[in-house]
Amino acid sequence: MRTLLFLLLVIGGAAHAAQTVKAHVNGMVCAFCAQGIEKKARALPQTEDVYVNLKRKIVAVQVKEGQTLSGDTLKSLVKDAGYDVVQVETVDDTTAGIRARMEHE
Amino acid sequence: MGDIGPNWREVFINYTVTARDAIGVSHTTMRSDDDRESDHLTEITYTRLLHRWNLPEAQANLWFMGGVGELRGADHEADSNWGRTAVTPGFQADYETTRLYLSALYRLYRASSVNHDYAAVRAGFAFFEPHYEQTQPWLIVEARSMYGLSDRPEITPMLRLINRSYFIEAGVNNFGQPRCNFMLIF
Repeated sequence: MRTLLFLLLVIGGAAHAAQTVKAHVNGMVCAFCAQGIEKKARALPQTEDVYVNLKRKIVAVQVKEGQTLSGDTLKSLVKDAGYDVVQVETVDDTTAGIRARMEHE
Repeated sequence: MGDIGPNWREVFINYTVTARDAIGVSHTTMRSDDDRESDHLTEITYTRLLHRWNLPEAQANLWFMGGVGELRGADHEADSNWGRTAVTPGFQADYETTRLYLSALYRLYRASSVNHDYAAVRAGFAFFEPHYEQTQPWLIVEARSMYGLSDRPEITPMLRLINRSYFIEAGVNNFGQPRCNFMLIF
């Protein structure tokens, strides 16, 4: 059942060809830390959804259709919240797809 | 935020001005073990993150915290009341991973002829790896001393529940007295 759900989410995510900016954040070790980043990311006008994974230190921001979000904008947002981004990439996936993949591994 | 115990009761509100600075107001009630003395401190506080080390699997911080306010005291045995200006500068260092927490705090609580300096160390661990959306339970043990209020260090094991917007800690200290800490983020 979990595998089926995982596959549906992955296929569904790819079908929409949504863009998500994914950052690896050093220092993000607790929910209190991460909620500040999530709050700022959700406040961006381009944001469709935000996914946070504390164990992997990942913040993923899904961009609204037809809009763009640069890696530098997310980097700067995380830096302003007091943390360091060590890697940022834009992927063709939804936050739901990323969540399913990360939590399945 | 609050720290509610028999000898030390502190309630404060902080407003985060920047990622490194917060200002606030605080009210602290300090009571001696023998219940002879009780002091009430109302102060304006400033908290500064002096340095943060963002490590791949951890975070470490050095904080300054301080306040200025009025300390009102009562010596119940001498039946006297007084009010004095108090200053409360202090430093905290902490280290935290998703499963481990360590901290040390030393803060002066001084007014003319009054010294209630406060020292605390904390260590704790989480029972499991956190999921951001779920509440994470921790076991935290705190040892603290409050100069001029208690001759013995207070040791309190506490269960901490931490979520995105709150944490709450509750336990019973080595004198058999209940304690509770809480913090809410808006």
